Amino acid sequence: MTSRTPGRRAVPLPSLAVLASGALLLGACSSGSGTGPDEGASASSDPVAGGDLRFAITVDSRCIDPQQVGNNDAIAVARQTVASLTAQDPDSGEIVPWLAESWEVSDDASSYTFHLRDDATYADGTPVDAESVKTNFDAIVALGATASLGSQYLVGYEGTTVTDAQTLTVDFAAPSAQFLQASSTFSLGLLSPASADLTPEERCAGDFVGSGPFSVQSYTQDQEIVLAKVPGYDWSSDADEHTGEAYLDTVTFPVIPESSVRSGSLASGQIDATAAIAAVDQPQFDGNGFWLEQRANPGVTYQLFPKESSPLASDEAVRVAISKGIDRQQIVDTVLTERSEPATAVLSHSTPLFEDLGDALAYDPDGAEQLLDDAGWVVGDDGIREKDGQRLSTTVTFWQDPAPLELVQQQLRQIGVDLQLQHVEIAESTAIKESGDFDFDYYNLTRSDPDVLRLIFSANARNINDRAAEEVDDLLDRSAAATDPAERGQLVTEASRLLVEHGHAIPVYELSTTIAASDRVHGLTFEGSSRLDFYGAWVQQS
Amino acid sequence: MGRYILRRAAQGLFVLWAAFTIAFFVLYLLPSDPAALAAGAGGEVADVDPALLDDLRARYGLDRPVLVQYVDALGGAVRLDFGPSYQSGAPAASLVAAAVPQTLLLTGVALALAVVGGVVLAVASVLPRSRALRQVLSALPPLGVALPTFFIGLVLLQWLSFRAGLLPAIGNVGWQSLVLPAVTLAIPPGAQLAQVLSRSLRGTLGEPYVETARAKGAGRLRVQLGHALRNAAIPAFTMLGVMVGALLGGAVVTETVFSRVGLGRLTVQSVNAQDVPVVLAVVVLSALVFVVTTLVVDLLYPLLDPRIERASTPRTVAA
Amino acid sequence: MTATTTGPRPPEEIEVADREDARSILRYGRARRPRAAGPAVGRAARHLVRRPGLVLAGLVLLLVAAWATAPTLFASGDPITGVPADRLLPPSAAHLLGTDHLGRDVWTRVVHGASLSLRTTTLAVVVGLVVGSALGLLAGFLRGWVDDVVGRLVDVLLAVPSILLSLAIITALGTGPTKIAVAVGIGAIATFARVMRAEVLRTSTSVYVEAARASGSRWWTVLGRHVLPNSSGPVLALVALEFGGAVLAVSALSFLGYGTPPPTPEWGSLISGGRDYLATAWWLTTLPGLVIVAVVLSANRIARALETTGEDQ
Repeated sequence: MTSRTPGRRAVPLPSLAVLASGALLLGACSSGSGTGPDEGASASSDPVAGGDLRFAITVDSRCIDPQQVGNNDAIAVARQTVASLTAQDPDSGEIVPWLAESWEVSDDASSYTFHLRDDATYADGTPVDAESVKTNFDAIVALGATASLGSQYLVGYEGTTVTDAQTLTVDFAAPSAQFLQASSTFSLGLLSPASADLTPEERCAGDFVGSGPFSVQSYTQDQEIVLAKVPGYDWSSDADEHTGEAYLDTVTFPVIPESSVRSGSLASGQIDATAAIAAVDQPQFDGNGFWLEQRANPGVTYQLFPKESSPLASDEAVRVAISKGIDRQQIVDTVLTERSEPATAVLSHSTPLFEDLGDALAYDPDGAEQLLDDAGWVVGDDGIREKDGQRLSTTVTFWQDPAPLELVQQQLRQIGVDLQLQHVEIAESTAIKESGDFDFDYYNLTRSDPDVLRLIFSANARNINDRAAEEVDDLLDRSAAATDPAERGQLVTEASRLLVEHGHAIPVYELSTTIAASDRVHGLTFEGSSRLDFYGAWVQQS
Repeated sequence: MGRYILRRAAQGLFVLWAAFTIAFFVLYLLPSDPAALAAGAGGEVADVDPALLDDLRARYGLDRPVLVQYVDALGGAVRLDFGPSYQSGAPAASLVAAAVPQTLLLTGVALALAVVGGVVLAVASVLPRSRALRQVLSALPPLGVALPTFFIGLVLLQWLSFRAGLLPAIGNVGWQSLVLPAVTLAIPPGAQLAQVLSRSLRGTLGEPYVETARAKGAGRLRVQLGHALRNAAIPAFTMLGVMVGALLGGAVVTETVFSRVGLGRLTVQSVNAQDVPVVLAVVVLSALVFVVTTLVVDLLYPLLDPRIERASTPRTVAA
Repeated sequence: MTATTTGPRPPEEIEVADREDARSILRYGRARRPRAAGPAVGRAARHLVRRPGLVLAGLVLLLVAAWATAPTLFASGDPITGVPADRLLPPSAAHLLGTDHLGRDVWTRVVHGASLSLRTTTLAVVVGLVVGSALGLLAGFLRGWVDDVVGRLVDVLLAVPSILLSLAIITALGTGPTKIAVAVGIGAIATFARVMRAEVLRTSTSVYVEAARASGSRWWTVLGRHVLPNSSGPVLALVALEFGGAVLAVSALSFLGYGTPPPTPEWGSLISGGRDYLATAWWLTTLPGLVIVAVVLSANRIARALETTGEDQ
């Protein structure tokens, strides 16, 4: 079909194209440092009311009902819309008054009486009274599985008794020492009684009325959520320095799924702050017109959870050797941020009653190899150990960022363990966990109370290890009933030590949240569970 | 003519039904548990009481035998009711409907850009008298087809948005936020169109009737654009259906890179979350679009080239 | 995914010089082109010398195939284990393409990734080719209701967006190179079926084949000896074209999170994994990306050459 003139030579088109594309792309991608808006040196340190703060989140999980959310981004939004009975001081971990001025806990921690303040109202003006609190707790229980966190806190809930307009008593069938801290979480945040009549879908869409400093102004799925301040709000917790209404008029949460787009947007001033800047991009926001604030998430650290009914994970020598063979500091130095910490206990250091387990989690490859040698695992030709014809090869199933585990895999290969990485989507990972078809699980659980240890590890609770009850479970269960902090702390620490010694828990590193914001943002900080707190935040008006 | 339309419509209905059925059973095979997913609400699944999970499953009708679920879903689909989304409980159909206008806008603008850009590039690569210029311009379309879309998008963002600050990187508001995504999306199909069109143009430039037009003394420009384009448009027109498909597929990536609301992102997120009702709704919608598009293209063909009879329509022209 | 535009010329424009021309017209629908003189090798060499672009494309693909078969010849390091202290180093003499976030040498990973990437891509194209051509062959040769059924099948495949199809298949079957290949290949079936069908229709309606059938040859003889060989030109060109398309499709799937699990290197996951570092360590995405661009361009160039060769017969 093509007519050819004789003697015509074709220019090497592919090479031309490759060169052209190379030039284009290389030109675009020379390393640049963050070009954030250069803030003037002296900024007034007096808070200014008004303005909008744009805070980027990574995903819209289609629900912003505080009593139903479980995803960090949704929590960042939902937390601002509700007040809770109590609050937790982010520095001391102490439970302080919020909507409840005072409380009494029965000796066996199965009955809690709260005395509410008399001036708090929901955003629609209805008073926060004992009856409305009862409505809330009953509704959470009725939500069932969709209120996954809340129903966990209310396990054994028998009912709420209303004594008078300002007094109520919550009763449990069994001791529940964690409930006081639970009452400070967003999952047990209070919504107006009218909200309990809505369907779960309507509540997810943001139609509810809350008790917090902000309320939902608009919610465009997958795009952005806008919160507006509640006028007349005046019942802040004792953990907040600020009182009265929030400073900001609105907080906008645009949804930006791509990591490099979030970094670029912050650097170019298209957003004001975010908590989702990748570790490698963070250095450009350390100064230069920006600031960083990091806090370790309280609760159980990121760790490998062996399922001890699977062949290799049932061998204690293997488990402990794996724990010894992980160089936690190297992981932190290589793939995490400057201020991240390796795990030094099963709980992270920002959890109340945390205690460092010292050498129990030191990097000890020689000790690991000794353990495996003594157990009869012989190094094979490919560097992986074998025993009775079986290779020391096992799998960890997870959905999170694989970089830390890639390093763990590398480190374990040096002691002769082959750790295979099964990286799946969240949906698939829940299915796999439920079917029980895995060797090692991997996640963290953020909770500012040591009860999370019992919840996960006790053979009488979730029993993540799928094992029979041992001495450690007795300690864990007793910690659920201990009301004296010192006694509770002792039980928890002893239990943690046993968990690590027997390889039931293999902590790796602490999850932390880092806020990256431009210098015009002030007062944005963390609350007790390392969740974001916009109540005291304000922006410099340009 | 009427019979032809009826026959095509019946075939279209069959395609819709088949697409729905295949999608339903493929999704049914998915290994996850939607109830656990809904309970987790996007985060880690806490230790939920299994009885509560069973309640949730019953609420979504997931405990019934698969054929019953299928018939129920099919009945609903006919009424455009796909049930509640597993993630939020909102009706899946309304979620999809809300996402359509944005995607329509994006793909519409991208299609226009692709067509205009493709035509301009194709004509520009045969028009100039300088061979060097022609060669350079001919090298561009293969490049446009060879670059991954997300790469183009991210590089454009770095250049034009983060460094130069000319255009916004995020958001759905205003025409400015449409420029970068539309350009990114338009590049691969535009480049393909340019390739096909320029090849056709080079071919038809030797056809006898073009020679005739030249001999009559018409200006070079008029000859090329007037006659050659019209004839070369036929194979390019065949591509239209393919281009629309490519645009919808490319929209998935583009919407994610540019943080835009739309069908593409909804699809990916729903497949990730295994939110079956939403995925089914998307499948039915896209099948519908495809069926309607091909029908329209088929009907318009004879108008373009009377030589082609309707009975032996596009099938004999290699697509 | 792609389109080709061969088609018959109206009869009044074909000049019939002699018997050979007539035979050629019956067979291929067009008159012969004048052949240059000389032995076949010399002709081929002269043909290639006039097309340095084609030569370059061939060399690129040969190089990449060499990487796939003997990676250690080109990169002796370890693609899986890196030195964490050497993370994110820009390209230098020691590390041709720099290092990644775990200190692994990018050049080594690109070379070792060729094997997996090419295997995945080839499998995807083979799936599309075999299934699509079989369908197209059946539809074009047998026509009638078979044609209708196949047509509907192809329509259904086209009606569901290929991304959705791929995602659903991968989610249902799990990740892994084979499943990714199948998912991408299924998206290519429709194109192969259409092209094969068009070609088969064209050749099987030629007088030559009708004559062969009428003279009593079995249908499979007709198929194997006459129809298939003459239909294969554009299909082969499509293979090269779809090869490039499959490489891009795999990288798009990696971008969406459905790529090969770590730490195995594979081009698609290399460039989508590196995109988070675009502003700070551009070499992670850009350089493997250039490799992909080179491969796709070369494949497309070869596809064009195959098309025009078919026409020149």
